[in-house]
Amino acid sequence: MNRTSRYPMRRILVFAVVMVVLVGVFVVKLVDVQIVRASELNVQAQDARSVPVKVYGARGDIVDANGQVLADTVMRYDIALSPKQAMKGPVSREEPDPADPDKTRDVDVPLEQVAAELGAVVGLSGDQVQGIIANALADDPDSDFAYVAKLVDTATYEAVKKLDIPWVVPYEHPSRRYPNGAVGGNLLGFVQEDDGEPLAGLELSENECLASENGEVSYLHSLKDWVRIPGTEVVHKQAHDGGTLRLTIDADLQFFVQRIAEEQRRAVGADWATVTVMEAKTGRLLAVADVPTVDPNNRDATAEGDRGSRSFTAPFEPGSTFKALTAASVINAGKADPRSRITADYRYLPPNGANINDSFFHGPTPYTLTGVLIDSSNTGMSIFGERLSDQARYDDMVKFGLGAETEVGFTGEEPGDLHGDPAEWDNQTKYATMFGQGLTTTAVQIASVYQTLANGGVRMPVSLVDGCETADGETTETASEGTRVVSEKAADETSQMLERVHLEGWLADKWNIPGYRVAAKTGTAQVPDGQGGYLSGYLVSVSGFAPADDPEFVVSVSIMNPVKMNSSAASAPVFQEVMSQVLKKYRTVPSGAPAPELPATW
Amino acid sequence: MSALPAQSIPAPRRAIDRLRVLRPAPEVVGRAKPRLAYAITAVTGVAAIIVAQMLLSIAVTQGAYEVDGYQVAQTKLARQQQQLREDLDRVQSPQYLAANAEALGMVPNADPVYLRLSDGAVLGEPSAADGAARSTAPLVPNALIDGVPLVTEQQTGKTPTQGNSPGAAGNAGGAIPAVAPVPPPVDGALPTPATH
Repeated sequence: MNRTSRYPMRRILVFAVVMVVLVGVFVVKLVDVQIVRASELNVQAQDARSVPVKVYGARGDIVDANGQVLADTVMRYDIALSPKQAMKGPVSREEPDPADPDKTRDVDVPLEQVAAELGAVVGLSGDQVQGIIANALADDPDSDFAYVAKLVDTATYEAVKKLDIPWVVPYEHPSRRYPNGAVGGNLLGFVQEDDGEPLAGLELSENECLASENGEVSYLHSLKDWVRIPGTEVVHKQAHDGGTLRLTIDADLQFFVQRIAEEQRRAVGADWATVTVMEAKTGRLLAVADVPTVDPNNRDATAEGDRGSRSFTAPFEPGSTFKALTAASVINAGKADPRSRITADYRYLPPNGANINDSFFHGPTPYTLTGVLIDSSNTGMSIFGERLSDQARYDDMVKFGLGAETEVGFTGEEPGDLHGDPAEWDNQTKYATMFGQGLTTTAVQIASVYQTLANGGVRMPVSLVDGCETADGETTETASEGTRVVSEKAADETSQMLERVHLEGWLADKWNIPGYRVAAKTGTAQVPDGQGGYLSGYLVSVSGFAPADDPEFVVSVSIMNPVKMNSSAASAPVFQEVMSQVLKKYRTVPSGAPAPELPATW
Repeated sequence: MSALPAQSIPAPRRAIDRLRVLRPAPEVVGRAKPRLAYAITAVTGVAAIIVAQMLLSIAVTQGAYEVDGYQVAQTKLARQQQQLREDLDRVQSPQYLAANAEALGMVPNADPVYLRLSDGAVLGEPSAADGAARSTAPLVPNALIDGVPLVTEQQTGKTPTQGNSPGAAGNAGGAIPAVAPVPPPVDGALPTPATH
């Protein structure tokens, strides 16, 4: 009685204090475990019981204007083995027992046979597989990893899995594939095989759209059969697929154009050729052929210099196709019209000391501006061109988009060089720039100049990409607003003159397209050797558009150094075939009225 | 007069004191006997919860195996789909189509001709396609279709009974139009479907 009741309050107090301390310790520990060190402990727990698994985000597809896939990502597999494990002894395998078909028995398969089986699947001989094992062990007797084959396809992967060799492991390895081969290979570019790093072309310049992001998840799994335990999945990093890049290119047309271009390139023994097809009213590129063309599936088969797109990256002196631009400039300034008369000799010696010659001999000829274009007279063009100041012509060239990269922004695109600006032009260059020498442009820039003339003087931004659709379905589209370069009258009159060129020029019977009115101009340009002089070969070209009464399509052809036919007769048939195909493909209504008559001489 | 208040004041205090010190214990009223039903209910409830949880757990685990099975099947099917898509992409590439067309002896006609339905006018100048079949394959290479047999080769391969001669494909094609399609009746105007 005394023991328990003497100081009841003290006992209660002591007990309470002990309880508070105890609970306090628990609370501190709880907070420490649940909050302070929670993430660290979670990671430890996950690591102890689960393996992080890589989730591959697929790099985006590149599709043509109609949605045909030009580049996509497929899963490939790397087959690896463990040399150390392989040497440990024969592989035991279950086989049906010959004595009793219902039962199986374990059979030991020797290394030689396993290696031969594995080799047969991945395309090696058994000795080669054993060689891989031996080499790896020679380098490191404890070697646990060596590749047998890389980037094998799904069929091979399944065959390897079926062999069920314990020391062989396949690894996933996403890879890039180009189902149409070299069709558009110049534009698409390619990626590094090992790590998928974009190396060239649209793969590189549009990587922001296409790039994917790999993710990582981990989960707990059952011990024996590796079944995922529900509710244990932890997403460490979300995987993201890349966006789909839609081009303005039409794959079928691109194929046709490449075929024609390559055929002609081989026939005339040219170094290279480019063909550009552009929509006259929108500036969209329908086909950009550069031959030789790389097949991105097998880029080693193509010389390194031929793997890009020269249409964008190789500026050249355009030559006489440029005369259309000078003529449009002069008309735009009100200094001439298609019937304006001059008299031009085959040689012209302007007062500033330049020396201009025509490519053919002729006496003093009473040319109109139309006639100058038809005969492609350099002297005549010079007499018209000098009616404008150098600065005015230069300003027009810049407005036509020359001297700067196009809106495409292709990998390695060149701006071309207008020989600095007029202040830097020497006396000869002042005249040479009137007929396309002494300055450089890319093939796409020339196509854009003709697009401007075809579109009533309004230049549309050049586009190769229609838009990018991200994996979430958002679409970014490229804006397209035109800028007026020359008056509609100047553009139309130039177009009419180019029609006369097509009808009366020296190639008239070679590039006729029955039923359609065509405006076109040839060029045979000298090629600079890089040391102030010119090479012996020429760059022959044709640029033009059709139907001339309502222009829809611009085609520009350039062939470098066709040794077997060193004139624009080499490029004219390509222009004719490509333009016919374009008009046919897009069901263009044939022209009704004939081309307007314009006098060439007076 | 004065004694009365003196008496009357302490009286309530005393009463209170007595109440505090000597309070009779309240009489124990017989507590209601706990009823068995409640106990059974509670225990059954707990047991039911435990059993339900176990069953759910089993179901989830069983589901995990099912899910895993489906996932494996899905992976397999995805692989198969990719394989088939690769094949399809390969054979619908322009190179393969062109090579097949050429193998069948087709040539392109570069001169388009249009029939305008509104007035029956023929636009363009019709001409026969000419030129020999060209070989496209080396001009626009495609590493993916190397070794994929052409339609003509497949036909002779697949129908060995008919395909002993190169003309087998033509014969097979010729056998079909035994019933010649009836040409649409033309009486001056373009044939138009009768609508009701």
